Amino acid sequence: MNETNPTEKIDEVKPAPVRTWQSRGRIFGIPISLIAIWAALFVAASAVPALPVPGMGGMITVNAIMTAISGVVLGPAAAVANAAGAIIATILFPFGAFFGPFSFVTSTMGGLVAGLTFANRWKLAGLAEIILLASWFVNPASWQPYMYLVPLPYSLIAVLVIFIKPLREWARHQILTQNKLWMWPALFLFASTGHAAEYLTTNSLTNWLYSLTWQYWIPTLPYWIGVDTVIIILATIVGVGVLIGLHRARLPHASDLYIQK
Amino acid sequence: MADVGYVQKDTFLHRLDARTKLVLMLAILLVVLVFTNPFYVLAILFLVLGAWALAKLPLNMVADIFKYFTGIAVIIFALQAFFYPGQTNLLRISNAIPAIGFSGYITVEGVMYGLALVLRLVVIMTVAPLLVMTTPMSDLMLALVKLKIPYRFAFILTTAMSLFPSIQNRAELIQQAQLCRGVGDFESGNFFIRLRASASILTPLILGAFRDSQILDVAMSSRAFGAPVQRTYLLESHFRRADYLFLAGCLLSLIVAIILRLAHFGVV
Repeated sequence: MNETNPTEKIDEVKPAPVRTWQSRGRIFGIPISLIAIWAALFVAASAVPALPVPGMGGMITVNAIMTAISGVVLGPAAAVANAAGAIIATILFPFGAFFGPFSFVTSTMGGLVAGLTFANRWKLAGLAEIILLASWFVNPASWQPYMYLVPLPYSLIAVLVIFIKPLREWARHQILTQNKLWMWPALFLFASTGHAAEYLTTNSLTNWLYSLTWQYWIPTLPYWIGVDTVIIILATIVGVGVLIGLHRARLPHASDLYIQK
Repeated sequence: MADVGYVQKDTFLHRLDARTKLVLMLAILLVVLVFTNPFYVLAILFLVLGAWALAKLPLNMVADIFKYFTGIAVIIFALQAFFYPGQTNLLRISNAIPAIGFSGYITVEGVMYGLALVLRLVVIMTVAPLLVMTTPMSDLMLALVKLKIPYRFAFILTTAMSLFPSIQNRAELIQQAQLCRGVGDFESGNFFIRLRASASILTPLILGAFRDSQILDVAMSSRAFGAPVQRTYLLESHFRRADYLFLAGCLLSLIVAIILRLAHFGVV
């Protein structure tokens, strides 16, 4: 009868693979279940038309509000969640997708820029914002008179939030500590960043695909600024409620990750 | 808002692998972006409409798309017709108005370019439904995985797709509850009021859904989601000869389109 030393047997056993956050079903630290739920919420929001686009049959839907706040709720994972939601929305409601299969890019970029900024990865966020601005300005259609005004209003806020460290840090701090008063303007800044990235992508795609001239953009600019302001204010109201609710109910969200850091 | 879904038929297009159809869709989109001559774009549109007919899909849906985007189509066409800097005058409208960049003439080039952009819009809008209506969702997801899209992303897509109806039901319940409380006018003609009303649904909807996500997370963990193992699939897809032929055709069309464009064909 062969007897083996029990300690040798233990040594032979291979150690279990190291469990990383990837293997636990997370993307950028956010559970995949949460990302899937957000994507489903995004699809539901896409089914509710809200604002008509002047002269067009297409609608700006409630998902614009969700895109604006996605960055502070999910961090950079918002890009994945928004992309998934927008792809499904394009599949289910293709008639509302003005750019066809390219439509998902807009909300993806909105979530990405705001999420990276909220995660304090300002260099990547800045790079994404610069690429977006470049995609607008390298198009010959953007060299027409006054066209530089189109991306200016909220993209300026986005650039300030991304590149001015004290402003970014202050806004992040107010949201992470849930300051009752200053959380509102802080969230307004992040919602502006997310929404600016989304609408800049939309405008660039419109110019690249359909070459709208300044005779369309400039007269409708006041309308667009009004629409953007309404969306960002509503996103701020919804976002503050959601963040306070998530914190009180101890539900997982991006702030948990950055508070721990 | 109109929605579309899989239409079960036994046609050549239905039998093609979902990956082939995805490549076909991308090829059509790339080719349509290459040309700015309306005749070339019209030829591509006829190709797409031919595919609709081949798949025995209702062509009146294309008419629905036209109805939905008539406004933007008119704007795109009018802007190019009036303001495109063309050389060949077609119609005199008025004296030149430099302040708005109008030369006083509608030019042939402007009309051609405007038509091309409108037709491009129609092609872009009709390609995606063609894919969705001829491919079951499970096949589409499998195709994404086979195309090396990370499984996690495909999982997010399928989960979101299956959760969407229950979230929509929850949204309707919350809407009823908000109406009972007198919060928001969801039927208002004023879109700002309607948007504010929609926002009153979002906060409770997001919080409720996030609570549900914890149950989903436990279910995923208990099934060892993310375990470092080789995944297998219930459904399998294989390329057939028709798929290879179609893919070769797509590649060839793309190359021909690029060569034509470089030789200044297909531009206004």
